Amino acid sequence: MGPSDEDLCARIAERDAQAFDLIVERHQARTYRLACSILGNEADARDVSQDAFIRLYEAAHSFDRRARFSTWFYRILVNLCIDHQRRNRWWRKVVPLATPDDDPDAIQLDPPSTEPGPLDEALRRQSVEQLNRALGGLSAHQRTAVLLQAQQGFTSKEIAAVLNCSESTARVHLHRAITHLRKVMKDE
Amino acid sequence: MWRAHPDTALIPYLHGELAAEEGVALRAHLEGCARCREDLAAAESVIREVAHRVEQIPEPDWTVYQYQLRRKLNARRGEQVRRWRPGLAWASLAAAAVATSAIVLAFALSPGPRPPAVDQLEVEGALADADIGLLRDYPVVAHLDLLENYDVIENLDQLTPPSRPHAVSGS
Repeated sequence: MGPSDEDLCARIAERDAQAFDLIVERHQARTYRLACSILGNEADARDVSQDAFIRLYEAAHSFDRRARFSTWFYRILVNLCIDHQRRNRWWRKVVPLATPDDDPDAIQLDPPSTEPGPLDEALRRQSVEQLNRALGGLSAHQRTAVLLQAQQGFTSKEIAAVLNCSESTARVHLHRAITHLRKVMKDE
Repeated sequence: MWRAHPDTALIPYLHGELAAEEGVALRAHLEGCARCREDLAAAESVIREVAHRVEQIPEPDWTVYQYQLRRKLNARRGEQVRRWRPGLAWASLAAAAVATSAIVLAFALSPGPRPPAVDQLEVEGALADADIGLLRDYPVVAHLDLLENYDVIENLDQLTPPSRPHAVSGS
Protein backbone atom coordinates (compact mmCIF):
# COMPACT_ATOMS: atom_id res chain seq x y z
CA MET A 1 0.00 0.00 0.00
CA GLY A 2 1.77 3.12 -1.22
CA PRO A 3 0.97 6.75 -0.62
CA SER A 4 -2.52 7.90 -1.61
CA ASP A 5 -3.11 9.72 -4.88
CA GLU A 6 -3.97 12.82 -2.91
CA ASP A 7 -0.63 12.73 -1.06
CA LEU A 8 1.24 12.15 -4.31
CA CYS A 9 -0.55 15.11 -5.85
CA ALA A 10 0.56 17.31 -2.96
CA ARG A 11 4.15 16.17 -3.54
CA ILE A 12 3.83 16.85 -7.28
CA ALA A 13 2.76 20.40 -6.41
CA GLU A 14 6.19 20.71 -4.76
CA ARG A 15 7.78 19.40 -7.97
CA ASP A 16 8.58 15.93 -6.68
CA ALA A 17 9.53 14.05 -9.87
CA GLN A 18 9.36 10.66 -8.15
CA ALA A 19 5.76 11.29 -7.05
CA PHE A 20 4.89 12.26 -10.60
CA ASP A 21 6.41 9.06 -12.01
CA LEU A 22 4.52 7.04 -9.42
CA ILE A 23 1.16 8.59 -10.22
CA VAL A 24 1.75 8.17 -13.96
CA GLU A 25 2.51 4.48 -13.48
CA ARG A 26 -0.56 4.07 -11.31
CA HIS A 27 -3.00 5.75 -13.69
CA GLN A 28 -1.51 5.45 -17.16
CA ALA A 29 -3.43 2.33 -18.23
CA ARG A 30 -6.85 3.54 -17.09
CA THR A 31 -6.18 7.03 -18.40
CA TYR A 32 -5.09 5.75 -21.79
CA ARG A 33 -8.00 3.32 -22.09
CA LEU A 34 -10.55 5.93 -21.10
CA ALA A 35 -9.11 8.37 -23.65
CA CYS A 36 -9.04 5.63 -26.26
CA SER A 37 -12.67 4.73 -25.58
CA ILE A 38 -13.80 8.34 -25.79
CA LEU A 39 -11.71 9.25 -28.84
CA GLY A 40 -11.81 5.89 -30.63
CA ASN A 41 -8.22 6.36 -31.78
CA GLU A 42 -5.04 5.03 -30.20
CA ALA A 43 -2.66 7.74 -31.41
CA ASP A 44 -4.97 10.53 -30.21
CA ALA A 45 -5.52 8.68 -26.94
CA ARG A 46 -1.78 8.52 -26.36
CA ASP A 47 -1.31 12.26 -27.01
CA VAL A 48 -4.32 13.42 -25.04
CA SER A 49 -3.64 11.17 -22.04
CA GLN A 50 -0.04 12.42 -21.94
CA ASP A 51 -1.34 15.99 -22.09
CA ALA A 52 -3.60 15.17 -19.14
CA PHE A 53 -0.56 14.13 -17.08
CA ILE A 54 1.22 17.33 -18.06
CA ARG A 55 -1.80 19.35 -16.94
CA LEU A 56 -1.77 17.38 -13.72
CA TYR A 57 1.87 18.33 -13.16
CA GLU A 58 1.18 21.99 -13.86
CA ALA A 59 -2.06 22.25 -11.89
CA ALA A 60 -1.28 19.97 -8.93
CA HIS A 61 -1.13 22.99 -6.61
CA SER A 62 -4.79 23.76 -7.37
CA PHE A 63 -6.03 20.36 -6.19
CA ASP A 64 -7.69 21.17 -2.86
CA ARG A 65 -8.72 17.69 -1.69
CA ARG A 66 -12.41 18.60 -1.63
CA ALA A 67 -12.96 15.91 -4.25
CA ARG A 68 -11.20 12.61 -4.80
CA PHE A 69 -8.04 12.86 -6.84
CA SER A 70 -9.48 10.55 -9.50
CA THR A 71 -12.56 12.77 -9.97
CA TRP A 72 -10.35 15.84 -10.32
CA PHE A 73 -7.87 14.17 -12.67
CA TYR A 74 -10.43 12.46 -14.91
CA ARG A 75 -12.22 15.75 -15.27
CA ILE A 76 -8.99 17.17 -16.74
CA LEU A 77 -8.73 14.17 -19.05
CA VAL A 78 -12.36 14.24 -20.18
CA ASN A 79 -12.22 17.97 -20.89
CA LEU A 80 -9.10 17.45 -23.00
CA CYS A 81 -10.79 14.60 -24.89
CA ILE A 82 -13.92 16.65 -25.56
CA ASP A 83 -11.84 19.65 -26.67
CA HIS A 84 -9.82 17.39 -28.93
CA GLN A 85 -12.98 15.99 -30.48
CA ARG A 86 -14.42 19.45 -31.06
CA ARG A 87 -11.22 20.63 -32.72
CA ASN A 88 -11.08 17.60 -34.99
CA ARG A 89 -14.79 17.23 -35.72
CA TRP A 90 -14.49 18.56 -39.27
CA TRP A 91 -11.57 16.24 -39.94
CA ARG A 92 -13.36 13.15 -38.70
CA LYS A 93 -16.17 13.89 -41.15
CA VAL A 94 -13.66 13.47 -43.96
CA VAL A 95 -11.62 10.61 -42.51
CA PRO A 96 -13.49 7.78 -40.76
CA LEU A 97 -12.54 6.62 -37.27
CA ALA A 98 -9.14 4.99 -37.35
CA THR A 99 -8.81 1.33 -36.61
CA PRO A 100 -5.79 0.14 -34.66
CA ASP A 101 -4.25 -1.10 -37.92
CA ASP A 102 -4.25 2.44 -39.31
CA ASP A 103 -1.98 3.76 -36.59
CA PRO A 104 1.51 4.21 -38.07
CA ASP A 105 3.01 3.75 -34.60
CA ALA A 106 1.02 0.62 -33.87
CA ILE A 107 3.92 -1.74 -34.44
CA GLN A 108 6.19 0.26 -32.19
CA LEU A 109 3.69 1.17 -29.48
CA ASP A 110 1.17 -1.60 -29.22
CA PRO A 111 2.88 -4.80 -28.27
CA PRO A 112 0.44 -6.88 -26.24
CA SER A 113 1.24 -7.17 -22.57
CA THR A 114 0.85 -10.96 -22.77
CA GLU A 115 1.43 -12.95 -25.91
CA PRO A 116 -1.91 -14.14 -27.24
CA GLY A 117 -2.22 -16.17 -30.39
CA PRO A 118 -3.41 -14.67 -33.66
CA LEU A 119 -7.00 -15.77 -33.04
CA ASP A 120 -7.08 -14.20 -29.58
CA GLU A 121 -5.61 -11.04 -30.99
CA ALA A 122 -8.17 -10.95 -33.82
CA LEU A 123 -11.03 -11.44 -31.38
CA ARG A 124 -9.69 -8.75 -29.17
CA ARG A 125 -9.38 -6.32 -32.06
CA GLN A 126 -12.91 -7.19 -33.15
CA SER A 127 -14.21 -6.59 -29.65
CA VAL A 128 -12.51 -3.18 -29.49
CA GLU A 129 -13.85 -2.22 -32.91
CA GLN A 130 -17.36 -3.22 -31.86
CA LEU A 131 -17.00 -1.14 -28.73
CA ASN A 132 -15.82 1.85 -30.78
CA ARG A 133 -18.76 1.47 -33.14
CA ALA A 134 -21.23 1.17 -30.29
CA LEU A 135 -19.76 4.13 -28.43
CA GLY A 136 -19.61 6.10 -31.68
CA GLY A 137 -23.40 6.46 -31.63
CA LEU A 138 -23.34 8.26 -28.29
CA SER A 139 -22.79 11.91 -27.47
CA ALA A 140 -19.49 12.77 -25.79
CA HIS A 141 -21.19 13.16 -22.41
CA GLN A 142 -23.15 9.90 -22.70
CA ARG A 143 -20.02 8.03 -23.73
CA THR A 144 -18.00 9.52 -20.90
CA ALA A 145 -20.72 8.78 -18.36
CA VAL A 146 -20.98 5.11 -19.25
CA LEU A 147 -17.21 4.68 -19.44
CA LEU A 148 -16.62 6.30 -16.06
CA GLN A 149 -19.29 4.05 -14.63
CA ALA A 150 -18.04 0.87 -16.28
CA GLN A 151 -14.31 1.42 -16.11
CA GLN A 152 -13.85 3.50 -12.97
CA GLY A 153 -16.95 2.57 -11.01
CA PHE A 154 -17.75 6.25 -10.55
CA THR A 155 -21.01 7.19 -8.83
CA SER A 156 -23.54 9.48 -10.51
CA LYS A 157 -22.30 12.28 -8.28
CA GLU A 158 -18.70 11.78 -9.39
CA ILE A 159 -19.74 11.53 -13.05
CA ALA A 160 -21.63 14.79 -12.59
CA ALA A 161 -18.49 16.39 -11.13
CA VAL A 162 -16.41 15.24 -14.08
CA LEU A 163 -18.98 16.39 -16.65
CA ASN A 164 -19.70 19.58 -14.75
CA CYS A 165 -23.45 18.96 -14.69
CA SER A 166 -26.11 18.10 -12.12
CA GLU A 167 -26.39 14.61 -10.70
CA SER A 168 -29.80 14.10 -12.31
CA THR A 169 -28.38 15.11 -15.71
CA ALA A 170 -25.55 12.63 -15.23
CA ARG A 171 -28.11 9.90 -14.50
CA VAL A 172 -29.98 10.76 -17.70
CA HIS A 173 -26.73 10.58 -19.71
CA LEU A 174 -26.01 7.20 -18.19
CA HIS A 175 -29.49 5.85 -18.80
CA ARG A 176 -29.56 6.96 -22.45
CA ALA A 177 -26.08 5.55 -23.06
CA ILE A 178 -27.02 2.18 -21.63
CA THR A 179 -30.29 2.06 -23.58
CA HIS A 180 -28.40 2.73 -26.82
CA LEU A 181 -25.61 0.26 -26.08
CA ARG A 182 -28.11 -2.41 -25.10
CA LYS A 183 -29.78 -2.07 -28.48
CA VAL A 184 -26.49 -2.06 -30.43
CA MET A 185 -25.05 -5.02 -28.55
CA LYS A 186 -28.26 -6.97 -29.05
CA ASP A 187 -27.96 -6.44 -32.81
CA GLU A 188 -24.35 -7.67 -32.98
CA MET B 1 -43.87 4.37 -4.59
CA TRP B 2 -42.59 5.40 -8.03
CA ARG B 3 -45.32 6.85 -10.21
CA ALA B 4 -43.49 5.98 -13.45
CA HIS B 5 -40.72 3.52 -14.30
CA PRO B 6 -37.59 4.70 -12.46
CA ASP B 7 -35.31 4.40 -15.49
CA THR B 8 -32.61 6.83 -14.42
CA ALA B 9 -32.51 5.49 -10.87
CA LEU B 10 -31.74 1.88 -11.81
CA ILE B 11 -27.96 2.23 -12.11
CA PRO B 12 -27.64 4.32 -8.93
CA TYR B 13 -29.76 1.68 -7.19
CA LEU B 14 -27.48 -1.04 -8.51
CA HIS B 15 -24.46 0.72 -6.96
CA GLY B 16 -26.17 1.58 -3.69
CA GLU B 17 -26.20 5.31 -4.35
CA LEU B 18 -29.83 5.97 -3.51
CA ALA B 19 -30.97 7.31 -0.18
CA ALA B 20 -32.45 4.67 2.13
CA GLU B 21 -36.09 5.63 1.55
CA GLU B 22 -35.59 5.89 -2.19
CA GLY B 23 -33.92 2.48 -2.27
CA VAL B 24 -36.77 0.85 -0.38
CA ALA B 25 -39.32 2.42 -2.72
CA LEU B 26 -37.45 1.26 -5.79
CA ARG B 27 -37.09 -2.27 -4.44
CA ALA B 28 -40.82 -2.34 -3.91
CA HIS B 29 -41.38 -1.13 -7.45
CA LEU B 30 -39.07 -3.77 -8.86
CA GLU B 31 -40.99 -6.54 -7.12
CA GLY B 32 -44.08 -5.60 -9.06
CA CYS B 33 -42.55 -4.47 -12.38
CA ALA B 34 -41.12 -7.09 -14.75
CA ARG B 35 -40.03 -4.43 -17.24
CA CYS B 36 -37.85 -2.59 -14.73
CA ARG B 37 -36.36 -5.88 -13.50
CA GLU B 38 -35.44 -6.69 -17.08
CA ASP B 39 -34.02 -3.18 -17.62
CA LEU B 40 -31.95 -3.48 -14.46
CA ALA B 41 -30.50 -6.83 -15.49
CA ALA B 42 -29.77 -5.52 -18.99
CA ALA B 43 -28.07 -2.39 -17.64
CA GLU B 44 -25.89 -4.48 -15.38
CA SER B 45 -24.96 -6.70 -18.31
CA VAL B 46 -24.15 -3.72 -20.59
CA ILE B 47 -21.90 -2.12 -17.98
CA ARG B 48 -20.09 -5.42 -17.44
CA GLU B 49 -19.65 -5.86 -21.18
CA VAL B 50 -18.35 -2.32 -21.69
CA ALA B 51 -15.87 -2.77 -18.84
CA HIS B 52 -14.71 -6.05 -20.38
CA ARG B 53 -14.26 -4.54 -23.84
CA VAL B 54 -12.40 -1.52 -22.49
CA GLU B 55 -9.99 -3.96 -20.88
CA GLN B 56 -9.40 -5.45 -24.34
CA ILE B 57 -7.94 -2.21 -25.67
CA PRO B 58 -4.28 -3.00 -26.39
CA GLU B 59 -1.84 -1.14 -24.24
CA PRO B 60 1.03 0.86 -25.69
CA ASP B 61 4.61 0.20 -24.69
CA TRP B 62 4.66 2.01 -21.37
CA THR B 63 8.40 2.64 -21.51
CA VAL B 64 7.98 4.52 -24.79
CA TYR B 65 4.86 6.22 -23.44
CA GLN B 66 6.66 7.47 -20.34
CA TYR B 67 9.67 8.57 -22.35
CA GLN B 68 7.44 10.62 -24.66
CA LEU B 69 5.61 12.08 -21.68
CA ARG B 70 8.87 13.08 -20.00
CA ARG B 71 10.09 14.69 -23.21
CA LYS B 72 6.85 16.63 -23.64
CA LEU B 73 6.97 17.78 -20.03
CA ASN B 74 10.57 18.96 -20.38
CA ALA B 75 9.71 20.81 -23.59
CA ARG B 76 6.78 22.48 -21.86
CA ARG B 77 8.89 23.50 -18.89
CA GLY B 78 11.54 24.83 -21.30
CA GLU B 79 8.89 27.00 -22.98
CA GLN B 80 7.79 28.39 -19.65
CA VAL B 81 11.38 29.19 -18.67
CA ARG B 82 11.91 30.93 -22.02
CA ARG B 83 8.76 32.94 -21.47
CA TRP B 84 9.97 34.19 -18.07
CA ARG B 85 13.58 33.97 -16.94
CA PRO B 86 13.99 35.68 -13.59
CA GLY B 87 17.80 35.67 -13.94
CA LEU B 88 17.70 37.39 -17.31
CA ALA B 89 15.16 39.91 -16.08
CA TRP B 90 17.33 40.84 -13.10
CA ALA B 91 20.40 41.17 -15.34
CA SER B 92 18.52 43.54 -17.67
CA LEU B 93 17.32 45.58 -14.72
CA ALA B 94 20.86 45.82 -13.31
CA ALA B 95 22.28 46.89 -16.70
CA ALA B 96 19.64 49.62 -17.01
CA ALA B 97 20.43 50.87 -13.49
CA VAL B 98 24.18 51.01 -14.23
CA ALA B 99 23.59 52.93 -17.47
CA THR B 100 21.33 55.45 -15.73
CA SER B 101 23.87 55.95 -12.92
CA ALA B 102 26.66 56.53 -15.45
CA ILE B 103 24.64 59.22 -17.25
CA VAL B 104 23.73 60.97 -14.00
CA LEU B 105 27.37 60.87 -12.79
CA ALA B 106 28.65 62.24 -16.09
CA PHE B 107 26.37 65.28 -15.79
CA ALA B 108 27.15 65.79 -12.11
CA LEU B 109 30.94 65.68 -12.57
CA SER B 110 31.12 67.78 -15.73
CA PRO B 111 32.90 71.23 -15.03
CA GLY B 112 30.29 73.34 -16.88
CA PRO B 113 30.57 75.19 -20.19
CA ARG B 114 34.17 75.71 -21.27
CA PRO B 115 35.51 79.12 -22.54
CA PRO B 116 35.39 79.26 -26.28
CA ALA B 117 38.65 78.70 -28.10
CA VAL B 118 40.58 81.67 -29.55
CA ASP B 119 39.88 80.81 -33.13
CA GLN B 120 36.20 80.82 -32.39
CA LEU B 121 36.48 84.36 -30.92
CA GLU B 122 38.11 85.65 -34.05
CA VAL B 123 35.44 84.16 -36.21
CA GLU B 124 32.71 85.60 -34.05
CA GLY B 125 34.35 89.07 -34.13
CA ALA B 126 34.57 89.06 -37.89
CA LEU B 127 30.97 88.02 -38.15
CA ALA B 128 29.91 90.76 -35.74
CA ASP B 129 31.75 93.35 -37.80
CA ALA B 130 30.00 92.19 -40.91
CA ASP B 131 26.56 92.23 -39.32
CA ILE B 132 26.72 95.60 -37.60
CA GLY B 133 28.23 97.60 -40.46
CA LEU B 134 25.25 99.95 -40.42
CA LEU B 135 25.76 100.74 -36.74
CA ARG B 136 29.13 102.19 -37.60
CA ASP B 137 27.22 104.81 -39.58
CA TYR B 138 24.86 105.39 -36.68
CA PRO B 139 25.25 109.22 -36.69
CA VAL B 140 23.86 109.29 -40.22
CA VAL B 141 21.05 106.89 -39.47
CA ALA B 142 20.19 108.89 -36.33
CA HIS B 143 18.96 111.70 -38.51
CA LEU B 144 15.75 109.91 -39.25
CA ASP B 145 14.07 112.90 -40.72
CA LEU B 146 16.50 112.63 -43.58
CA LEU B 147 14.88 109.37 -44.49
CA GLU B 148 11.75 111.22 -45.44
CA ASN B 149 13.71 113.10 -48.10
CA TYR B 150 13.92 110.77 -51.03
CA ASP B 151 16.70 112.75 -52.59
CA VAL B 152 18.78 112.19 -49.47
CA ILE B 153 17.89 108.55 -49.46
CA GLU B 154 18.90 108.10 -53.02
CA ASN B 155 22.28 109.74 -52.27
CA LEU B 156 22.76 108.16 -48.90
CA ASP B 157 25.98 106.53 -50.01
CA GLN B 158 27.53 109.87 -50.74
CA LEU B 159 26.84 111.36 -47.31
CA THR B 160 29.83 111.82 -45.08
CA PRO B 161 29.38 111.08 -41.41
CA PRO B 162 30.32 113.89 -39.01
CA SER B 163 32.93 111.88 -37.18
CA ARG B 164 34.03 108.23 -37.39
CA PRO B 165 36.36 107.55 -34.50
CA HIS B 166 36.69 103.80 -35.16
CA ALA B 167 36.42 103.92 -38.91
CA VAL B 168 38.72 101.69 -40.75
CA SER B 169 40.35 103.38 -43.67
CA GLY B 170 39.83 101.81 -47.03
CA SER B 171 36.87 99.68 -45.84
